Amino acid sequence: MVLAIEVRGLVKIYPGGIKALNGVDLDVDEGIIYALLGPNGAGKTTLIRIITTQLRQTDGYVKVFGHDTSTQGSNVRSLIGYVPQEMSLWSDLTGYENMLIYSKIYGIPSNSRKKIIEELLEFMDLREASNRMVRIYSGGMIRRLEIAIALMHRPRLLVLDEPTIGLDPAARRLVWGKITEYCKEYNMTIFFATHYMDEADRYANYIALMNRGIIIARGKPEELKQNVEGDRITLKLSSIDDNISILNIFSEIEGITILKTDGDTIEFSTSNVSYTLPKILEKLFQNNLKIYEIKIHEATLDDVFIKLTGRRLSEEEYGRYREAITMRKMIRRGS
Amino acid sequence: MYKQYKNAILSILAMIEMELRRLRHDPLEIIARAIQPILWITVFGVVMARVRVFLSIGDYITFITPGVILQSSTFIALAYGISLVFERDLGILKKLITSPIPRSSIVIGRILAGGIRASTQYIIVLISAIAVGAKIVSNPINLLLGYALLVYGCMGFTSLSMILAITMKTRERFMGIIGAITMPLFFASNALYPIDIMPGAIKYFAIVNPLTYIVDILRKLLIYNSCEVFNDIIVVTIFVACTTVVAIKILNKIVE
Repeated sequence: MVLAIEVRGLVKIYPGGIKALNGVDLDVDEGIIYALLGPNGAGKTTLIRIITTQLRQTDGYVKVFGHDTSTQGSNVRSLIGYVPQEMSLWSDLTGYENMLIYSKIYGIPSNSRKKIIEELLEFMDLREASNRMVRIYSGGMIRRLEIAIALMHRPRLLVLDEPTIGLDPAARRLVWGKITEYCKEYNMTIFFATHYMDEADRYANYIALMNRGIIIARGKPEELKQNVEGDRITLKLSSIDDNISILNIFSEIEGITILKTDGDTIEFSTSNVSYTLPKILEKLFQNNLKIYEIKIHEATLDDVFIKLTGRRLSEEEYGRYREAITMRKMIRRGS
Repeated sequence: MYKQYKNAILSILAMIEMELRRLRHDPLEIIARAIQPILWITVFGVVMARVRVFLSIGDYITFITPGVILQSSTFIALAYGISLVFERDLGILKKLITSPIPRSSIVIGRILAGGIRASTQYIIVLISAIAVGAKIVSNPINLLLGYALLVYGCMGFTSLSMILAITMKTRERFMGIIGAITMPLFFASNALYPIDIMPGAIKYFAIVNPLTYIVDILRKLLIYNSCEVFNDIIVVTIFVACTTVVAIKILNKIVE
């Protein structure tokens, strides 16, 4: 089966010697939601811009459904829908007019233009607002309209660069709800870049973790998280008179690793908390031990990132705070 | 191949439509920009006509009408390039270059849109000139041809503006350079006075100034009721073609 995106040995050096990509390999199967997760400055946008034929790579190649982005750019462009990180709408036109102009640019036949626009406006819950100027739209409405525009020519691959940057949690959920619904209905492939790990975790079938121009890990979200020590659980028990017997109780349960014991508190890790915890609780009750407190720290993609780079995803973000704020202002410009 | 050309033309038309819709929603710029040319005609023109500075020119208000149309339109065309910078800072340009249309049609579409936006001054200036006694031909063919050739000429200035916007990189520098070149372009042309009376160096500048040739076209069509504009059109075509080609060539630069 042909891959939706195939990236091999991709290197991009910008004029001035900045190496944005340093040998990226990537395979994206058709029909899945694929997240490219990494801090700002990791090279995500550069990779996306090469995939969408905006930039030429220094070395390596990218193929989209078998078409090389360097030599068959026009074929690639007709297969993809793309929503850039920054706002891509004319704020001094209405939502409907933006869709109309883009539909003409994308060569949608005039007899089906109106129907497609109206269906997508309806689908994105923008019908009522369609005759209002985009400059009075909220950030979430702008994103939904941009996604609607990207879907007008029924692309096989939808490429989203930071699709929910600057949006509040409710708007983020709504945007993702619409994207996943559409994806299921039309078996479309989605490739998106984000620095929100919860977003990649929740919506992607497959994740590539990116840092400083290279892919440092890839896999399904669960697989990635299993590579770290797993979920951590801390139990505070009624009394630990006989440490050895408690340790014995724990040692009878498969799939856990004791990390430390400290007085009446025991900390251990497990690869699957929802399966292991009931068993532990059952054993403790059987031995007449009371539990005062349970703390569960489920493994996150941040833990994966820490394990691989020694830093938190959020730490990398902090240095780019101003950039993110500027971006947010751009997206909300006019609101 | 045919489909490709058809799509390119449709996308160019879509960009013109976009510009016209923007104008309809917000005509303030056009109205604000009309104030200056109206003053050129109704104050400067009227006063200079009374003083009779240029004896070789019969009716001064009529004489400067095409020049003032060009001054006003050129200002708008030269400022248009900034919109491309705004669109690059936003994501519009990224979005456009990932659409299936060729990159050249993005530039041509925007240049044509800019030319049309600039040409809105044609009607406003003509009406105000007629109101203060300018004698403009009533031949609709000449009037329409004048309008079309004004759009054509303004396309060159819009391209020039885009090239400057790309090269200058910051908006402040761009606005500075536009401010610096618009007035010299206007004064060192035949817009306000005949080239014959200019001193040597300025005369040579006026001869290579494309504005001179577009003013000449309008003057012949709108005042002298003459259609002998072929030579002027050739010069304007060279100007439009050169600036357009350069603008297309450096579009990639603005994106990257």
